[in-house]
Parts: sequence; structure tokens; C-alpha cells
Amino acid sequence: MELLNIRNLSIEYKTKSGTVKAVEDVTFEVGEHESLGVVGESGCGKSTLGVAILRLLPPNATTKGEIIFNGKNLLSLTNEEMRRMRGKEIAMIFQDPMTSLNPIMRVRDHFFELFKVHEPSMKKEQMIKLASEALESVGTDPKRLDNYPFEFSGGMRQRVMIAIAIALKPKLLIADEPTTALDVVVQEQIMQVLKNLMKTKNMSLILITHDMGIVSELAEKVTVMYAGNLVEHGEIKEIYNEPKHPYTKMLLESIPNIKLDDMELKYIPGSPPDLKNPPKGCKYYPRCPYTKEICKTKEPKTVKLGDRKVKCHLYSGG
Amino acid sequence: MKSYILTRIGLSIPMILIILTIVFFVLRVLPGNPVLAMLGPKAPPSVVKAMEHQMGLDKPILVQYVDYLKNIAKGDFGHSTVTGMPVLKELMQKFPATLELTIFSMVVAVFIGIFYGTIAAYKLGSPIDISARIYSIFVYSFPVFWFGLMLQLIFGVWLHWLPVSGESSPFMTPDPIHTGIYILDAIINGQWDVLKDSLEHLILPSLTLGIVISSIFVRMVRANVVLTLSQQFVVAARARGVKEKTVLFKHALKNALPPILTIMGLQFALLLGGAVLTEVTFSWPGIGSYLVNRIHSRDFAAIQGTIVFFAIFVAIISILVDVINAWINPRVRY
Repeated sequence: MELLNIRNLSIEYKTKSGTVKAVEDVTFEVGEHESLGVVGESGCGKSTLGVAILRLLPPNATTKGEIIFNGKNLLSLTNEEMRRMRGKEIAMIFQDPMTSLNPIMRVRDHFFELFKVHEPSMKKEQMIKLASEALESVGTDPKRLDNYPFEFSGGMRQRVMIAIAIALKPKLLIADEPTTALDVVVQEQIMQVLKNLMKTKNMSLILITHDMGIVSELAEKVTVMYAGNLVEHGEIKEIYNEPKHPYTKMLLESIPNIKLDDMELKYIPGSPPDLKNPPKGCKYYPRCPYTKEICKTKEPKTVKLGDRKVKCHLYSGG
Repeated sequence: MKSYILTRIGLSIPMILIILTIVFFVLRVLPGNPVLAMLGPKAPPSVVKAMEHQMGLDKPILVQYVDYLKNIAKGDFGHSTVTGMPVLKELMQKFPATLELTIFSMVVAVFIGIFYGTIAAYKLGSPIDISARIYSIFVYSFPVFWFGLMLQLIFGVWLHWLPVSGESSPFMTPDPIHTGIYILDAIINGQWDVLKDSLEHLILPSLTLGIVISSIFVRMVRANVVLTLSQQFVVAARARGVKEKTVLFKHALKNALPPILTIMGLQFALLLGGAVLTEVTFSWPGIGSYLVNRIHSRDFAAIQGTIVFFAIFVAIISILVDVINAWINPRVRY
């Protein structure tokens, strides 16, 4: 059974200068013990998607569709029921570890707060035990429970964030750009931590990132997003070996490769569309090298090619 | 923490010294001869000379300065030229009434400021938030004595609910007096009718001061909580399932507190002096009324003593604020 089913999810932000369609009609699923990468450029709606699963979007956002987690539609839960899910069933870690911990609380108190919210009857010894185990599982000395966040480096803070997130053994961990704010060496360490956790804990992972390289290290499946739309979804190996959507192709080509003599960096010309006023038809056509007339007028349907989903006129028989 | 407190106390010694120096020299260069003020303009020169000698005013100014510092270090603030009593003794008699008024005003101001400001920040852009902004601008522009008069008019004269002047009704003072703070003394003595009477007298003046000052606090709290609410650790706390009330007060408000506390501490100290207008409006027998009386009668020793007293008090309050800030924010402490 799938752990998470996202069905026809659309999210709009109402702003003073117009309505922003951040996510449009996105459908995918995450199986138990599966890891899914969500990739795309800045502003493609991938972070909105992650925050929407926890229902923590700002009040000017409206969400349509269904987010079915473990058989329950999260969007129809009461606020109180949803609050109980956060941190216990679904946990999230954020991009900037420097500001994700409360600067005036000891690390210990972050854990204790989580435990008290979800397991009010838990004894103090048990809390210390769980917190120490969680810290050990991310390679941090449990002695550091008494430290304040400012006594940690960025990489260490992200480890602590991960430890807090997994302390109550959630079924799903959403990692929103967990390594983006860190330097490459530390990035690699954090990726190792996440890999180990995926091996040892019975947990699913949604890894939101702009970095195709990171996705290939960790994820089994990948969802490529462009301008709020899911443009391609499937097994990571298949997508890497044979990307279907023109955007995925160009995204993969833009990963620098030092093995090639020709070291010119490839990039995707142009920039993502204004989501307040997106182009008619396919959102990608202004940047797409394969644009046909139909792309400019008609939005492509999502078609299934085996296990793969692609949203492009090249494959929709058009 | 201990070394932090000690350093902080050590640092305020030069500060107090500077204030003492300024007070001394300013009062010496001000026009008006204290001896003439005491003896009257028609006093014969020989009497004036004798008096100046008695008060040490004929000594070189630096000697006077050193004597003055020595005396203050010994707790001797000089003798009032009007009553002949030691100034410190008079101040200590008046101080409890001022402290009582100040503390209750602060309670009113902090209560309104914290709750109204935090809720306005939480409901940013809502009618509550807009009302909070209008409230702070509107109330900040109230002159204290005018607002006091209005409250006296409404609750005293029209509605007859509350007394309009003094610290207590006749024959309603606590007996015996322990601290000089009537509310506290009445509770210690178990004199509940006296307690009720004192509270009734306290309500209008402390509301007057408290409401006027709350305007600054509402704005300060709102601005700082808006800032902390937008930070990542607030979202992260929500993502852990922390209750909204805890997110708002424990995460957002507590992180916003250090600048707010600093302002509150300064306001508390200012209140002691700023209570002058309120004390006069409500005939409150505190240091404010005392200072006004002594300025009228050119009692230099009393004026000097009062200023020094305030200065030391401000220094103590700012040490307290720093210590509380250090207690909240570990980064200050380490």
C-alpha cells in the first residue's frame, strides 16, 4: 500500500498583485520505505509542496485536491488532528540549519518539547534515552544535549535537526533542501546520515532539492517539477538513463561533468515563467527546443509510459 | 553567570561616578545661592559667611567635590535646608509610595503591552492589529496630567466609583508600618479594609501612568514578535506539532523579549522620575511630589539628593535588566 497519495493537488497564493499558481494539478505517490526526490528550479513549487503536506502554508494559500497519508486525507483533518500528525507521523527538516533551532533553547529542550507534545506521559529518563539514541543515529555525541544551538556548526545543527525529526520514528520525513546551505564536504556527510537512516529506520523520505546529483545518490524515484507542474515522474535510473521530457533532459545536461574535456557549463536558456501570468499551453514552451504549434495553445496531458509519467506533447500523440 | 553579574556591577560604578560628578557641577553652576535661599535676601553678610563656612561652601570646589563623594559613599546625602532632616531619611519615607505607584503602573503597562502586542503580531493585518496600532499612536499622544484629570472626572466626579487623590483615606493607613508600601503592609497586618482602601486609591493613578506607557510597549512588542514569528525556528516548531499557544509565547515572544525588556527597564526607571506629573495630579505623597515641593523652596540638598537617588536607582534597574536578559539569552551569558 502507498504511504502517501497526492491527488490533483493545486495550491494558489493570493497576493496583492494577483494569484500565484504555485502548484497545479500534481499527482504522485510515495510507497512505504521509499525515497522520492522532488527536483526543479527555484520557484517551481517544490518547497510549497513539502510545506503543504504538513499543512503549514501561510494563510493566503488555498489548497485543492487530496493528500492521503496512511489512508487519511490530511486536508480534511481538523487543525488539532493535523497538529498531532506533525513531528510524530510526518516530520520535516528545513534548508537553513542556522535558523531552524530556537536560539535560546538547549538541544535537549527541543527534544523534550517534542516528546511532551506527543507523549505527555513519557518519563524524563525515557526522554533522555530517546534523545541520546536519536543523536547517536546521526553521528552526534549525546553529551551535546545540554548545548545551545549557537555552540554547533551548520552541519552539526542539521544533524541535530534530523535527529529531532526522527526521534519519534515518523513514517515520513520531508527534507526541504537539507544540504543547500552547507559546504560540499558537510553536504556529503549529511547525505550519508540520511542514507544510513533510510537503511536502518522504517521510514519514507521526500527529498526536495534543486540538485540532481543529490537526488541520484539517495532517491529511488524522482519527480521533476516545472512552474508548478509535474513534468516527469518515474524510477530514478530510467529517468537518468533516458529522460523523456525536454526539461528533464536539459536539467540532466546541466550537471557539470569533469570527465568531459569540453568543460563548458551547460544551462537552460531563459527563466521560469511568471506564475501570476503563466504562458498558455505548455508552461515550458518558451524555453523548449522542441516547441511545436500545439505547445503554445494547448496544455499537454500527463501520459503514462510504463511506470513513467510525462507531461509533454511529444508523447501525448499530438 | 556569576562572573557576568559581577562584571556588570563593576561596570556601573564608573557610570554612577560620572552621574554624581555631573549632578555636583551642574548644581554649582546653576544661578541662585543656596545660602541666600535659606536665609532670605536680607540676611547680613556676616551671617551668610558663617553659614557658608558651616556648609563647607567656602572651601575650594575640588575639596567640596571630594567631601561630597565621601559623604554619598557613607550614605549621607546632606541635610534638607527646609526641614533640617537628613535628605536620605526623607527620601526613604517618600520612596515606598512612589515605588508602589511605579510597580503597579508597570504591571498595567506590561500586561497590556505583552498581550495586545503579541496578539496584534500574531493576527498581523487583522482588525485587532489595526486597532493596536491606532491605540498606541492615540494613547502615546495623551499628556499624562490631562489623562489623569479625565479619569478623575469620569470615575471620581461623575461615577463616584473611586477616590481621586491621596494614597489612602483618613484613618485608613496600615498600622504598624513595615515597608511603607501600604498594600504590602495591609496584607502583612491582615487589615483587609485598609487593603481595599489602598487599592481603590491606587487604581486611577496607576491606570493613568500604565495606559500611557503601554502605548510604547504595544508597539515594541508587536514589532519584535512580528520579526521572530517570521523566523525559520517558528515554522520548525510548528512542524514538530508544537501547539500554537506555545509557539507564540515560548518561541516567538521569548525570543523577542531582550530588546523589549531593555526598553521596559528604562521605562521603569524613567517612571520614577516621570511619576512627578501623576503624583502631583493625584496628590500622591511620593518622591515626585517631594521633588516639586523642594524645587519651589530651593532646597538644594534635597534636589541634589533626589537626583543622585534616582541615578543610583536607574543604575540598579539596568543591572537587573541585563541580568534578566542574560538569563533568557544564553549568548549574552557565555
